[in-house]
Amino acid sequence: MNPELLELTGFAHEPAWLPWAVQYFFLIGLSVGAFLITLPTYVLRRRSDDGTARAALIAALTTGLAAPIALLADLHQPDRFWHFYLYGQHTSWMAWGAFFLPAYAGLLTLYGWLCLRPELAARAGSGGPVGRIDGLLAGSGRRLPGAQRTVGWLTAGAAALVALYTGAEVAVVAARPLWHSALLPVVYLATGVAGGAGLALLFANRAPAATQGLLRWLCVALALTGLTVIAWVLGLGGSGPARALLGLAEHRPLTFGLWLTAGLLVPLALAWFGRAPVAAGLLAIAGAWMWRWEIFMGGQALPKNSAGFYGVHLSPGPEGLLGIVGTLGLWVLIALALTTLLRPTANAQG
Amino acid sequence: MDTSRRNFLKGIAAGAAATAVTPSHAAVERPMGDPGRRWGMVVDLRRCIGCQACTVACGTENRTPLGSYRTVVTHYELNDGDRPRRAVLPRLCNHCEEPPCIPVCPVGATFQRADGIVLVDNTRCVGCGYCVQACPYDARFINEETGTADKCTFCMHRVDAGLLPACVETCVGGGRVFGDLMNPESAVSKLIAEHRVDRLNEHAGTEPQVRYIGLDGRLKSKVEGTPSPLRASLKEVVS
Repeated sequence: MNPELLELTGFAHEPAWLPWAVQYFFLIGLSVGAFLITLPTYVLRRRSDDGTARAALIAALTTGLAAPIALLADLHQPDRFWHFYLYGQHTSWMAWGAFFLPAYAGLLTLYGWLCLRPELAARAGSGGPVGRIDGLLAGSGRRLPGAQRTVGWLTAGAAALVALYTGAEVAVVAARPLWHSALLPVVYLATGVAGGAGLALLFANRAPAATQGLLRWLCVALALTGLTVIAWVLGLGGSGPARALLGLAEHRPLTFGLWLTAGLLVPLALAWFGRAPVAAGLLAIAGAWMWRWEIFMGGQALPKNSAGFYGVHLSPGPEGLLGIVGTLGLWVLIALALTTLLRPTANAQG
Repeated sequence: MDTSRRNFLKGIAAGAAATAVTPSHAAVERPMGDPGRRWGMVVDLRRCIGCQACTVACGTENRTPLGSYRTVVTHYELNDGDRPRRAVLPRLCNHCEEPPCIPVCPVGATFQRADGIVLVDNTRCVGCGYCVQACPYDARFINEETGTADKCTFCMHRVDAGLLPACVETCVGGGRVFGDLMNPESAVSKLIAEHRVDRLNEHAGTEPQVRYIGLDGRLKSKVEGTPSPLRASLKEVVS
């Protein structure tokens, strides 16, 4: 602070992007990250553990289906979402996202159905209402490897576009130095893969091969996150973003320190040594969320013109805590529905 | 447009009628503006006494929600060695020549008229807040009553009726001067020609059309100083 200049009157600007936006970027990041983990098995047909891909696919599907709802809720005029399609502007990354996101969600659902179809068919014989739904969803239950690969590649393209737009949409905002970094999309992707692998670890049901595979993904993603953040701080993404990130850490040392230790270093150590996979996964998920919270809400609390720091406030209502809990509840509902259709998970691992 | 306040009295009747029938924050039909004009403002800080009359007049004219402002005067204490002095800085939308709020708008709700005024079509705006993020002047906000982006319009409903913007009309010291930058005989053009004028955040490359006379260099871009202790609680105070 410069004691030679004192701001006598001024007012804090309310954040225009609410915690709903954090939830959207968190869920879609995890979905894209988890989807990438499925590619070696389901699309590239490399020899890898099927349980790794299956757990990651469930993580990708559940988060990918919940994410658009959070995005819609962040609009202050959600009932006008159709304006994106009627008046879309090619100069806006957000306008492109309105096409990329449904394409990704639709293709991911189709991809998931093609990959899980034989499993659904196997469950169809178990009887009961769930078995009947499984039977309806599975159809013939026959594997369609060609279609699975084709749709997998198309989904990969859509996932790449979603990763590109979610990163670029924020990184192009020159008015916010913290966001205006070419490294931001890289960290989003890396934390998304880490969070996706972390969530998949929860669905892997402690199967040894799947756990090992996911811990490797987790390790690589967290290491990439750490290296990119170091590059950011060193100014490789621009001096403005580096100063802004250090400034944010100065204003919020506790939360930033918590992200660094609990969200990055501890899960990285656990993944490296192959210990406590569930804890490592949970911490990686928390790390992915904390990073987005700090960048979005902390970034909006850094004044563009005024001195100091506005502070980050979480209101209890739908624009704050209730929104976060609601999004989590939606994800739990989708996860319960999907895992119920595919249960028992342990048998599915073989 | 003649910027003399007295001459504008003639237009008051027409302007009053226009403001009575036009919602100030709504642009149902997009007004295109006169391509032969380029509206701009010069804020003569030597004349500004920081009374916030412009803030109040704007809020009254445009019916902005309590706690949200299209223009506001920030106050500073500057220390030059052992000699402290007060400085004021009225802030508003700069109606930039290269407005960064327009290309980011996903639905084309933000647009620029031929006369340079940047507006929001709030019948199209989805309230995504992207333009709020992109504005380097923090001149935009989400109007909690309309759920759409909101900002200074240079009181285009008044300007189109031959009146001055409300903040200019009400300015006690005549510190806000509004007019046609393309007309060399306008008051704003003469002030620009005769004085050293500065613009805020010039490094942003947005070509702002609000200029300041007597602007301290320390206030030209992001202010690095000690923040106001009352700032964060404003929302709580008005709620």
